[in-house]
Amino acid sequence: MANYSTSQFKNGLKLMLDGNPCSIISNEIRKPGKGQASNKVKLRDLITGKTLEKTFKSGESVEGADVMELDMQYLYNDGSEWNFMDPDTFEQYLINDDAMDDVRGYLVEQDMCVVTLWNDNPISVTPPNHVMLEVVDTDPGLKGDTAGTGGKPATMNTGVVVQVPLFISIGEKVKVDTRTNEYAGRS
Amino acid sequence: MNMREDLKKYSDFLQKIRRYFNDHNVLEVRTPLLLNNPTTDIYIDSISTTVNQAINAKSTKYLHTSPELEMKRLLANGSGDIYQICEVFRDNEQGSQNFNEFTMLEYYRLGFDIHQLMDDMVQLLKTLGVEYRVSKLSYAQAFFEYGDIDILNTDFAALKVIAKTHSLSTDFEWIEDLQILLFTHLVEPKLKDLPLCFVYDYPTTQSALAIVEGEVAHRFELYMNGVEIANGYDELQEAGAYRCCFVDEIDKRSTLGKTSVDLNEDFLLSLSDSLPQCSGVAIGINRLLSQIN
Repeated sequence: MANYSTSQFKNGLKLMLDGNPCSIISNEIRKPGKGQASNKVKLRDLITGKTLEKTFKSGESVEGADVMELDMQYLYNDGSEWNFMDPDTFEQYLINDDAMDDVRGYLVEQDMCVVTLWNDNPISVTPPNHVMLEVVDTDPGLKGDTAGTGGKPATMNTGVVVQVPLFISIGEKVKVDTRTNEYAGRS
Repeated sequence: MNMREDLKKYSDFLQKIRRYFNDHNVLEVRTPLLLNNPTTDIYIDSISTTVNQAINAKSTKYLHTSPELEMKRLLANGSGDIYQICEVFRDNEQGSQNFNEFTMLEYYRLGFDIHQLMDDMVQLLKTLGVEYRVSKLSYAQAFFEYGDIDILNTDFAALKVIAKTHSLSTDFEWIEDLQILLFTHLVEPKLKDLPLCFVYDYPTTQSALAIVEGEVAHRFELYMNGVEIANGYDELQEAGAYRCCFVDEIDKRSTLGKTSVDLNEDFLLSLSDSLPQCSGVAIGINRLLSQIN
């Protein structure tokens, strides 16, 4: 993979840092009157999701990370791995359950997701901003003193628990915002 | 605010500076902007241009990056106290606070040391309406207080270990570059609560053109709210001392693979009578204004 000099740094550029692929979030250049310029860079570690900060001297070069983001259709989960398909090539990708921690509850079969590949291996999945999920368990609504509670917890068919309005009952399909885990309306 | 009011404000500001120097018997001078030699400063690059001095007599000239050397020629030839307000030009500048062209106020006071010059700057700033709380910290104090580092007694290897723990680059040829990086990223952000802060007595590795005494160079910088505004020295006097500095800078430029520059023999020759004992400072006018408004 090519190396990138600090002069090529821009938001979204993918670099290798301490063995993990990272994406640049911000890049601030400082140049003292008598001294060398430096780049203070904020990055997101694409494996751990953590934000980190690193300062390079200007002109320093860093190994690029072979990271691609592809639109893929989620097919099914066989218990230990999640199956995705590139709709252009029909190539299938298997993603290990460990990489699915944050998104497991939002994957609906046939939905298009963004899959991030590093060296051709999937490392993370971004579900669509809104998904339709089915309520499989929730208290019956409108019982007793409920004024001002703002809703009730409901368990979806994917396992995720979302705060929903009191009138929602088991079996209903609701729209959920995957970025905030909030109820976003009924079907 | 409309254009006219903006211009008036800037014009008034310059008038006040001129009045201050006039009142203190410091002469305004103009020195050439187009020079035969580029700067030797390691991390400052001159903008070059080709000029025709006669038909078919092309030569390369350089826009000045600072009026320092030309003003020192005047000082060496008996000018006395002088100041200049001028545009300066620098190539390859990067960063949100750096520009290829900016306005500099540079002035020299004979018989002053840097502490007298810092006091004088405080008086000048007062006449410009800047009456902020003044802090003075030695470079070592600043590092100790805000970075927990004994900067004068920490060697290159140990500084690299410290830099690593702060996720800072350690890929440097010389210790001063790492000292500067640590200062920029550990100390400077902590100075942002100080409206007017002088940092003085730099490590000898960062003496630039300042007189060295013991383990420190008599150099200072002014920071306003963490932004570098000015840089001053107890000025070197002898031509030989300048030659040593220039040769060192030229060597370092070549080590870094930067465009090579020649020794400015004309300047060294003009110091045949050495500089009188004096202190001088360069102030970034645009940055100063941005911290006042």
